[in-house]
Amino acid sequence: MNSFKKHALKLSREYTQANFAWVLSFAVSLVFLINSFNYKEGTIKSLVFTIFIVYAVFTVYQLFLTWKIKKDLLKFGAIQPTTRKLGYIQLLSILSANVFTASFAFNLIKKKKTPEYTFAVYMLFTQIFVIAVSAFNLFKPYVTDTFVPAMGILLGILFFQIVTLVLVGKYVQDESAPSWFLIIAVLLIISSLTGNLFNLLLGISLAIKARSYDRSRIMKWNTMWNKITRNSTAILGLFFIILMLSLSVCSKYTFDYDLAVENDYGSLLQKPSLEHPFGTDDFGRDLFSRIIFGARISLLVGFASTIIPLIIGGFLGAIAGYYTKRADNIIMRLLDILYAIPGILLAIAIIAAFGANTMNLILALSVGAIPSYARTMRANVLMVSNYEYVDSARALGSSDLSIIFKQIVPNSLAPMIVKATLTIGGAVIATSSLSFLGLGVEPHIPEWGNILKIGSTYLESHAYLAIIPGLAIIGLVLSFNFLGDGLRDAFDPRMD
Amino acid sequence: MGINKEPSVNLVFFDHLAYIFEKMMKRNTYKYLLLLLGFPLHVVIFIIYRLKRNNDTYSIIHKKINASLQTSGLKEQLKSEFKEQYVRKHAFFHETVDEQHMNSEVDRLAQEKYSKLLAENIDAEYEQQGLVKLNYISYFRDLLKKPLFLIVSFIPGVLMYILLFLISNFFIKFVFERLVMSVLVIAGVSVLVFTILYLSPFDPAANLLGEAATKEQIASFNHTYGLDLPYLAQLWNAVKGIFTFDLGASFTGNEDVAASIANKFPITLTIAIFSLLMAVVIAIPVGIISATRQNTFLDYSFMFIALIGLSIPNFWQGLIFILNFSIKLQWLPATYNPQNLLSIIMPVIVLGTGLTASVARMTRSSMLEIINEDYIITAKAKGLNERQVLWKHAIGNAMIPIITVIGLLFGDMLGGAAVTEKVFNVSGIGSYIVDKQFIPDIPAIMGGVIYIAITISLVNVLIDILYAFFDPRIRSKMKQL
Repeated sequence: MNSFKKHALKLSREYTQANFAWVLSFAVSLVFLINSFNYKEGTIKSLVFTIFIVYAVFTVYQLFLTWKIKKDLLKFGAIQPTTRKLGYIQLLSILSANVFTASFAFNLIKKKKTPEYTFAVYMLFTQIFVIAVSAFNLFKPYVTDTFVPAMGILLGILFFQIVTLVLVGKYVQDESAPSWFLIIAVLLIISSLTGNLFNLLLGISLAIKARSYDRSRIMKWNTMWNKITRNSTAILGLFFIILMLSLSVCSKYTFDYDLAVENDYGSLLQKPSLEHPFGTDDFGRDLFSRIIFGARISLLVGFASTIIPLIIGGFLGAIAGYYTKRADNIIMRLLDILYAIPGILLAIAIIAAFGANTMNLILALSVGAIPSYARTMRANVLMVSNYEYVDSARALGSSDLSIIFKQIVPNSLAPMIVKATLTIGGAVIATSSLSFLGLGVEPHIPEWGNILKIGSTYLESHAYLAIIPGLAIIGLVLSFNFLGDGLRDAFDPRMD
Repeated sequence: MGINKEPSVNLVFFDHLAYIFEKMMKRNTYKYLLLLLGFPLHVVIFIIYRLKRNNDTYSIIHKKINASLQTSGLKEQLKSEFKEQYVRKHAFFHETVDEQHMNSEVDRLAQEKYSKLLAENIDAEYEQQGLVKLNYISYFRDLLKKPLFLIVSFIPGVLMYILLFLISNFFIKFVFERLVMSVLVIAGVSVLVFTILYLSPFDPAANLLGEAATKEQIASFNHTYGLDLPYLAQLWNAVKGIFTFDLGASFTGNEDVAASIANKFPITLTIAIFSLLMAVVIAIPVGIISATRQNTFLDYSFMFIALIGLSIPNFWQGLIFILNFSIKLQWLPATYNPQNLLSIIMPVIVLGTGLTASVARMTRSSMLEIINEDYIITAKAKGLNERQVLWKHAIGNAMIPIITVIGLLFGDMLGGAAVTEKVFNVSGIGSYIVDKQFIPDIPAIMGGVIYIAITISLVNVLIDILYAFFDPRIRSKMKQL
């Protein structure tokens, strides 16, 4: 009996997440504690210290919850309803922007979690964060004309999302949803135009469950998303990516682009303050706005320079893997030439030849990535084309093209998606590296590498100018890597 | 070494040579290569062979069998069979029969079948009479077995014999093939990089001489550097320059490009090799520990740190290091200086971080895969303790994919060296390329990129060869080819 309960401890999703949440929350508190002292003058920065206190309180409460869950599991083999109710208090930690404990709290209060519930929770988080980040503009002397209506719309969507979350928690089952959810689904899909892709995911998911009677399809969808959402780091990665995406869409209306690019000689190199949360640079431009607008370029280049080689490399790889040995040899030997040049060097050569701008940067990064996609695709196609369903399609008289695109490609996509997710991070790093060298995005565009390049010259006096854009890059890249790892674990049949 | 184990080979050298010759004649590339390299010899031997063949029994038997088949009406019989099939097939699919198309199709099929049957019958006849069928390849092979022939023909066929010797041992053959492949790849790389730079819309002459330059000045600049030649001539000069280490002078400063590259290469390579050593020393133990303690707090922490290491941009890490260790703590110099050994520490760590992280992740997953293999379970069932299983059975096999990955990542590291070199002001090959790209200084960029690509190719060739040497599975696979 005892071993059964120990097993319950190991199996419990909540217990793992509780540990994950308190460790990370503790780490963040520690960072705030270290930063709350002014070492030169020996004083305490009151604002940072207050934030530390808030985080510390939630961390301690999180530790208490973790201990309680462990006791429940060892004693009863299941988490008791009273413990779950205690989770409601931890929901408050969302107000301190502590995603780790807040997402755990949402997981704790609901016993049976559908993928829709997780989507709804993170959808809400994303919206709250977008609104909170945009609200920092209120401290500026002026806001853009579109600020008020845009914030109004965002708040309206937030309200709608809260209602949706409650409804989803109440009515959506593992295998079905009431048919009136279709209306909500449509509204959600429309509202995903704000860049909050959790809306889209939830909308699609609800539409599938409300309309389809095909249980196997629903089960498949559930299994896949359960695997991804169970992985705390993967879903946090997805959250951060979608947050960045949503911010770069909404910033068009809530942020003033002029603050990021126009020189303001009245406020050069100012320290962080409420008006300029990250300070200003050597031309008096607001670093906060610049970072927000930089996300747009990084995401654009990252996605574009992943999708282009994915399509070209995938196509070449599929042909090489499916057709004769001769086609295979010609394609793969030519790609070997491309593969022999390291990606960054090839990009430097291409940019040296055609000039440094965003378009050339995307092309340069894409060309270098083609061979590795082609190799992955070829290996998949070689494996898949030996399966029986391909033989049966051939026996039914399908043409080669229809076999490739209807049977083989869909079944060899999973490793490609994983690879793509993992390489977007690399593309983001490459983009900023090349910009840092002066070979990437044009210097006047606020891009993270460009911002860092300026910051690097003020390393001694204004280090934050170099540190903050670097943290933004790491955050985005780390998120893509976490998501990629999560997707790989979800798609890899060996892990089952 | 391996020769003795080949089934049909005697110890005699000549027999082995003949055996290899016959084997290689079955593979298209080698067949043409052997015929081409020994062309004068083959011409002479072929004439002798034709003369001899006329006296051979082949033509007699061919005539005899052909005549007997003709008289038996085989061809007509085949035709009617195919015709019937054709009609039935069309009837089944409800298609109309096109008389002309049908006839040509039936003729073709019947002729094919007839030739096949004829060849079969001839073969059967040969076997019955106990004769050996003579063709050029077997004729030549028999000649090769005679030492006297080899001595006489050695001078005209020396190229072919060298090739035969190279491919006679599977290991030499593998190395030879691999080297040929990399030479081809390097030539391809040269063509590609040159073409990219050639297509450039920029005009180096105008950039360097300024807007005030006269037409004559530009023309003379272009003439000096051979930029007025047609594409193919320039390409030929570039490829020749790459292989002879003579790339001419750079556009700015008029320095010898090959010499400057040779000056800058050692420091880049030194940093890269130290980074590699750092990665191996740190990452492999970390990976093994993570794999053996899967899903523990230690494992999670290691992998989390590794993922952060993968996500940190080199230049940012370099700046943070300079900020903390040079500006705040003043432990290490911020820029590289050849006289100060301490100054190499930060560039090595920064360049090696990404590699260390990837290798640690790779080691972990490779170890996990091996640990779950059946033979490890067998070893455990045998009663070996954890340590013996790990060291004797798991690690050796887990290292195989890791070494490949290290080879591939080493290339990425050399390519990414430009960024690190710029941050720490190292005057290596990477920062050389970046400095030259604004003009663009075509010979300098081309030389830098291609020589790095060559270094990477050579490292990968070396790794492949080492593998073939150490991994018995690869060796046995090579023998089968």
